[in-house]
Amino acid sequence: MKRQIPLLIVIGLGLLFVVHTFVPHKISEDFYEWWQTWSKAISPFMVLLGIMSLFMVHSTKIKRKTANWQYSFVTLGGLLITAFVGFMWGTREGTPYMWLFKNIQMPMSATMFSLLAFYIASAAYKAFRARSVEATVLLLAAVIVMLGQVPLGAQISHWIPDTSKWILNVPNLASKRAITLGVGLGITATSLKILLGIERKYLGGD
Amino acid sequence: MSNNKNIFWDRMQNLDRRYIYIVVALAIIIPLLIPFNSKTYITEPVENLYKKVDSFTEREDRAILMCFMHDASTMPELFPMEVSILRHCFERNIKVFTICFLPTAAPLIDYAINTAKEVGGFDVQSGVDYCNFGYKPYALFLPILLGMGEDIAEAVETDSEGRKVENLEIMKNLKNYNELNLVIDFSASASVQTWITYARVKFGANIGAGITAVMAAENYPFLQTGQLVGMLGGLKGAAEYEKLVDVFASNNVVFSKEIVKETWIPITDKNIPYQFKTARIGMNAQSVAHIMIIVFIILGNIGYFVSRKSKNKELG
Repeated sequence: MKRQIPLLIVIGLGLLFVVHTFVPHKISEDFYEWWQTWSKAISPFMVLLGIMSLFMVHSTKIKRKTANWQYSFVTLGGLLITAFVGFMWGTREGTPYMWLFKNIQMPMSATMFSLLAFYIASAAYKAFRARSVEATVLLLAAVIVMLGQVPLGAQISHWIPDTSKWILNVPNLASKRAITLGVGLGITATSLKILLGIERKYLGGD
Repeated sequence: MSNNKNIFWDRMQNLDRRYIYIVVALAIIIPLLIPFNSKTYITEPVENLYKKVDSFTEREDRAILMCFMHDASTMPELFPMEVSILRHCFERNIKVFTICFLPTAAPLIDYAINTAKEVGGFDVQSGVDYCNFGYKPYALFLPILLGMGEDIAEAVETDSEGRKVENLEIMKNLKNYNELNLVIDFSASASVQTWITYARVKFGANIGAGITAVMAAENYPFLQTGQLVGMLGGLKGAAEYEKLVDVFASNNVVFSKEIVKETWIPITDKNIPYQFKTARIGMNAQSVAHIMIIVFIILGNIGYFVSRKSKNKELG
């Protein structure tokens, strides 16, 4: 029963949504409105579940003193402090919450993301080699697109941004479209397998 | 001599990556500290999005929805786009709505609105000229996206200040995607494709994208099919939009290809506030960084071929 009931819910609701998409009937519209109300009611519980899960994971880490358990204090402290200042003084401009966001969250997140530039430069130097014809084509395309993306490229020659545009609009577009079509077919096949009860991995277990 | 040359290239091949990091850091920091004037060329996807937004000027029955689908990590690329579009809307009296489905994006909306409003000195009012729907849980992304196709006020219910959306003055003449006719999604992911799949296909809404440079290539098929009316790709897209707002919207001039080609706005111009030219200043750093990476690639390859040649010689 532990597996059958969720399976029935997924198959039943899945088929109802398929019907709703293709049959514009009053009953179908009513079902859709009913679902919207339910999904709004369910979402706060998901947030609660997330917070509970975070607390359980990190309190267990602290209790068992696993590797880097000290950082769990930072995570939980950050959560509690941010929530407290948000509830006390609101989240608008000029509040402590906004101060935390601008002075801690923003610089830390931007720092993490900016590391990408250093890794790309290092990887370009160490690994981007014209070892084969394919690698040479990739290398040339990368150089042209990189130059085409900055004002200097256009100042050197109008051929650089024009070629960069062509690379993005023709070979890139063709390969992206092929990938999208492949992914679309894969999604359709997986959805059908779920609706027909063939695919059951999402229920957990083997 | 030849031996020395080989030793040099061998050393270069095994160069400590910390030296590379220092060069990259300098290549980015120096242009940010000492801005220089470089030209900004306008590309078609940016031009199309600008023109679409501009076509809503002074219209009571048209509005734009800006969806902030990112956190602070991608702010350097996406925030200047958001500020520019908000500024465009405020300059041209275009009704604009904002929404986010990530908790970390909520302060970004406030920050972007306040930056555009205060630095630009616009006399705009929340609930009248613009409205922030605020943060809605991600689980409600699809219900709200689909619900707005029927009735915006019913789907969103309240704005970020807890006011009933249906009672707001801005909602006059606005019902669904027929009026909220342009949705611009700002993200570092493929979330814009959800707007295309549902809001575009099911309700015919126009969709635009503001996206990080690494994700831009993903969206070219949608630009070609017209499912995306326009796109701002990375810092370059943001810089182009900044320029368009400076040239046209802030001077109350209608878009013209000739004017944009001939106009050059130096970023060292003191009349333009720093917050309204951050993308163009950032493009200087990006230009130098791209050149540095290209130089690294060339050096790395010269070293590779020299080492390979000497190894082949040794093997006879």
